Amino acid sequence: MSNAAAKTMPSVVGNTARALPVPAGKPDAPRKTRTPLSLVRSTPGKRRTPFVVLCFVAMAAALLTVLVLNISVSTAQYQLVQLKAEAATLNKENQDLTQKKQNYEAPQNLAAKAAELGMVPSTVKGQINVDTMTVTGKATPAVKGDNPGAQLAPPAVAGMLDVVPSVTTKDPLENLKPVTPAAPAPTPAAPAAGTAATPPVELHGGSVPAPQQKAPGQ
Amino acid sequence: MAQNPGTSKKPKTPAARKRLRVGLGIMLTLLLVVGGKLFMVQGLDVGGMAEAALASRLTPQVLPAERGKIVDANGTVLASSVIRYNIVVDQVQNTNTASFKRYNEKTEELDVVTRDQGIAELAGLLGADESKVREALTGDKKYAVVAKDVKPELEDRISKLLIPGIVAEGVSKRVYPNGSVAGGVIGFLQDGTTGQAGIEQTQDDVLRGTEGKRVFEIGADGLRIPVATDELTPAVDGSDVKLTLNTDIQYFAQQAIQNQVDKLSAEWGVIIVMDTKTGNLIALADTNAPDPNDPGKVDAKDRGVRSVTAAYEPGSVEKMITAAAVIEEGKSNPLDHFTIPPSYTIDGQTFTDAFEHGTEERTLAGILGWSMNTGTVMAGSRLTKEQRYDWLKKFGVGEQTDIGLPAEATGILAKPEQWDDRQQYTVLFGQGVSQSTLQTVRAYQSIANNGVMLQPRLIDSYIAPDGEEHKVPAKDPRQVVSKETAEQVQDILESAVTEGQIKDAAIDGYRVGAKTGTSQAPREDGLPGFDGYTASMVGMAPMEDPRFIVEVVLQRPKGSIYGITNGPVFCSVMAQVLRTYNVPPSTGTPARLPQFVK
Repeated sequence: MSNAAAKTMPSVVGNTARALPVPAGKPDAPRKTRTPLSLVRSTPGKRRTPFVVLCFVAMAAALLTVLVLNISVSTAQYQLVQLKAEAATLNKENQDLTQKKQNYEAPQNLAAKAAELGMVPSTVKGQINVDTMTVTGKATPAVKGDNPGAQLAPPAVAGMLDVVPSVTTKDPLENLKPVTPAAPAPTPAAPAAGTAATPPVELHGGSVPAPQQKAPGQ
Repeated sequence: MAQNPGTSKKPKTPAARKRLRVGLGIMLTLLLVVGGKLFMVQGLDVGGMAEAALASRLTPQVLPAERGKIVDANGTVLASSVIRYNIVVDQVQNTNTASFKRYNEKTEELDVVTRDQGIAELAGLLGADESKVREALTGDKKYAVVAKDVKPELEDRISKLLIPGIVAEGVSKRVYPNGSVAGGVIGFLQDGTTGQAGIEQTQDDVLRGTEGKRVFEIGADGLRIPVATDELTPAVDGSDVKLTLNTDIQYFAQQAIQNQVDKLSAEWGVIIVMDTKTGNLIALADTNAPDPNDPGKVDAKDRGVRSVTAAYEPGSVEKMITAAAVIEEGKSNPLDHFTIPPSYTIDGQTFTDAFEHGTEERTLAGILGWSMNTGTVMAGSRLTKEQRYDWLKKFGVGEQTDIGLPAEATGILAKPEQWDDRQQYTVLFGQGVSQSTLQTVRAYQSIANNGVMLQPRLIDSYIAPDGEEHKVPAKDPRQVVSKETAEQVQDILESAVTEGQIKDAAIDGYRVGAKTGTSQAPREDGLPGFDGYTASMVGMAPMEDPRFIVEVVLQRPKGSIYGITNGPVFCSVMAQVLRTYNVPPSTGTPARLPQFVK
């Protein structure tokens, strides 16, 4: 069936169409007349300004927050770097002080300092037993001016020689030499004290020198 | 219909169309070439450009491991590592910069500093001559060292000078705060890294730790690329080594032996202090001990630990072993009766004593108390050659000590079948056999500890970087003689002090047992014969339950050997040890075994 034919075809055929009830109050009304167009004032819409302001404020707030966050983070970073540097400095300082303390504690330096303060080593000690109320041993007072004999050289840690300040402007180790002129010459034990004695091999922490063989009969 | 010129609808002339097509073709070809190259470069990486770029960006950085400390039994630091700086200069940069700007904190302005002024300031801080510093900074080297081992505080001040070309390099430096106290035991490093002597050498692997590594990418601007590779292998610091030594006793002993050696112009001397209950070595004192901070100051031969490296003929101290052997074998007892002629001949070998005497009626205790060779040979000849050898061996003669020091001596104990006619008897009083001082002390330790020999210990524990302490287990003890024999020998040694010849070993308030030894020292220059003496004294206290052993050895003292005594040295060291460890004064009655048979 062509389109044209379909248009001309009646939608009902014969009397098979159902009779629809017609509303009572609505008889075949006459054709509605169109409302005449007229110019009216538009209804006042909602004001949009607060929303926009809100958006801007929110954005500004967000930006500000980000900025503050950024600033605080970078400030904290600077602080971190600074604190780390400070910790490193304190660490080094601590190491330095520890070393100084160790140097003061070295037995040689302690003995030298004690001697400088006029202390002398005690010789014979006595014991008191409280349980049996007995005294053993004859404690004799130490004699001042005893020749202290050999002194071990103080540790030669670089920059750590100021434990017993030198009286003279000479060698810092000078004051460790025996005081009395009658005392025996500085011992080979204190090579640092004997500045005149030049060691045959200066290794200064270096490697061990090649072995030297003795010629027989020497 | 109106014509609209310029619109596409206008049919083109064939020539223009052709041109367009050719142009398009060229464009496409170029695109293909560029695309292909892109693929080659990015996709296939022909020529290894990306790899090379990565390699140039990747920067490995070694994270140094801190070397462990060496501490004594009380935690006193004997060796530790500290940060020091080397001040280095790029001479080219420094020489070419006539002046530089520096921020002045006081005026809050940039000061212009001339090169001369900078050099003057640097010289002032370094305490060096200005002309020398100028010399060091001038030249055309990109790297030159201006000052070494500068302390952190000074480095800080030098860095603040901002002198162009001056840089500080951090280096690790080993320091030995106690210097020559136990210097030989601790040893020293070569080039600041590798142990070259003593504990530093033998425990190098433990002390050294493992170096760490960090690999990261760095941009052309010298900044690390944040999102790129960053591999970190942390460094493992070295463990600390804790020794059994006591620094104070060690110092005292070193002073004492140094004094003694100086007084008698001896070649060298050693003192060993040992705890008899644990075998712990409390002091290993040497004369002329090196200061590890500067070991080159003493002779090479003085840089070791002679207590363990020097083996020599021990002399009369060996008579204790003979006495213990004959008692343990049931061949004699401390009060056994010996009739001793002025000289004693056995198997054609004649033996005499250090002092002249007629025929004497002696006890075994008297033989040791007066250190008689004749009597010792008489008593010892009751043992077979094999037994003599076995007993020396049981007491650790010829058995190496293993305390963790380099070159520990084993000594020489020849097999009995190799002994000649005389040597078979001389070994009874410590000639013809050689041992280190520590081996002698170990033999006496087994007597002091009621017959149980403990191996000497020097390394007490290893302390890991996390602070955990790993004890070095003691080696298995062994019963050398029975408790009864050990007690009888202890009484003999005590009687030598109370009744015998070693009265100067007595300490007020404490019961002491001791034995002296004097032996001829063989020449060391290759010629046969002897050229001096070795004088020693070994003793223990308090005798009711011996806790400490001290041995003093003096090699080749000058002057008459008969006038030499190590008694005062022994006493002062032993008294110091007893007092340091708060040993209460002795109880009970001192043993006084009769030296003569009446």
